[in-house]
Amino acid sequence: MALQISSEFRKEISKLGEGVSVNYCYQCGTCSGGCPALRYTKIYNPRRIMEDVLLGFREKTLKDPVLWLCTMCHACLEACPQGVQVSEILVLLRNMATELGNFPEHLNGEISALMEYGLINPGSGAIQRRREQLGLPEVPRPKVENIRKVAEETGFMRVTGYKPKEGA
Amino acid sequence: MADFAFFLGCNIPNRLPHLELAARKVLPKLDINLIDIPEFGCCPEPIGIQELSRDAWMAMAGINIALAEEKGLDIITLCNGCFETLKTVNRELKHNDSHKQKINAALSKIGKEVKGSIKVRHVLQVLYDDIGLEKIKSSVQKELKGIKVAVHYGCHAIRPSAILEVDDPFQPKSLDELVNALGAESIPYLRKMLCCGTGIEGIDKENQLWMVHDKVAQVERMKADCMTMLCPLCYIQYEMGQLQLKKEPYNAQFKVPVMYYLELLGLALGMDPSELGFKLHRVKVDSVLAKIL
Repeated sequence: MALQISSEFRKEISKLGEGVSVNYCYQCGTCSGGCPALRYTKIYNPRRIMEDVLLGFREKTLKDPVLWLCTMCHACLEACPQGVQVSEILVLLRNMATELGNFPEHLNGEISALMEYGLINPGSGAIQRRREQLGLPEVPRPKVENIRKVAEETGFMRVTGYKPKEGA
Repeated sequence: MADFAFFLGCNIPNRLPHLELAARKVLPKLDINLIDIPEFGCCPEPIGIQELSRDAWMAMAGINIALAEEKGLDIITLCNGCFETLKTVNRELKHNDSHKQKINAALSKIGKEVKGSIKVRHVLQVLYDDIGLEKIKSSVQKELKGIKVAVHYGCHAIRPSAILEVDDPFQPKSLDELVNALGAESIPYLRKMLCCGTGIEGIDKENQLWMVHDKVAQVERMKADCMTMLCPLCYIQYEMGQLQLKKEPYNAQFKVPVMYYLELLGLALGMDPSELGFKLHRVKVDSVLAKIL
């Protein structure tokens, strides 16, 4: 498939991000120079992702699992001489990828823990005993039905494909 | 006495109760009153849930903010992730009308509303800006003389700086000065500002551990007595990480104690180690305690 150059993708991002824009990126690579994910993974490269966004390569960008290798340290956003909020754009790109069903498998555990317990790490009996030994109060117990309701209202179930368990 | 809604998040109460113990025992000694709100849920975390849906992330965070508003309390967080989420969302809902409308429409279904009446504070800010170095210095009962400490901030305490408003995004000094205020010495080391890598732990554990490896190697090279930090996720990476680095392909035999900053603070304020949860540390801290006592 030939890649078509287009400005639609970056317009879409600016609309979604309300003022966040990749337009001023002049491809200097400062973001990549200070990027720990690039340094360690060798394949995640924020400058290259910004380039693909500038050129309008929507499908290529949103399908590529490399999108999920950013650690979200926000060094790129702070360092950009053009004020491009690189890591914020990454969040928007990941939201758009999720809409297409492209998000990493490991997040499913986090999603179901959040929807079932209201906590991504609900703890265990062993931790509860340890807490008692330390004289700590009971762990917070959120109203899960409230969390599920606002998740439903804001499209979380739809984009993640999460289905509540029977009787939950 | 300053009252705060105590936002614990998921990882501290359910994985690292000794960090919670330190907060509950130490902070009241500096007139920081922690008030529990049992209905608090996941913040939700900014490097997984926000990436899936920013709207859902803001709405779920809105529940927590609304709960604190109902009590008329500012929120205090220990965890950098909880801080980034709650501070960012609170700011968005205060200053962005379209977000506020959208999120409050979702919250109205459960009878909640975010009005924009409270602040979200990191414990680092509360200690450095509210309590201040002078009060902390004058409260020290046992100076931590001769303890060399490698400070780690964690990204989401300081970046994005325009939103979080805590410290300089690349050359922060607050936690270093808070360490020095106890009589200990914050030492310089290479890779001090390197991210702990939690954000890619689920997708590239091997490289994430190299990130941990390279930082701990520099800490060891400088002969620090311990590392210190405030974020529980960073804490897990540097403590559990040292155990995981013993195996292939790393084969690293690190034994760098990781002290939670509030534990160092507690010891300096004169607490006995038996009052804190040092036995729950996965890397032994005896060498640090022996130097202090």
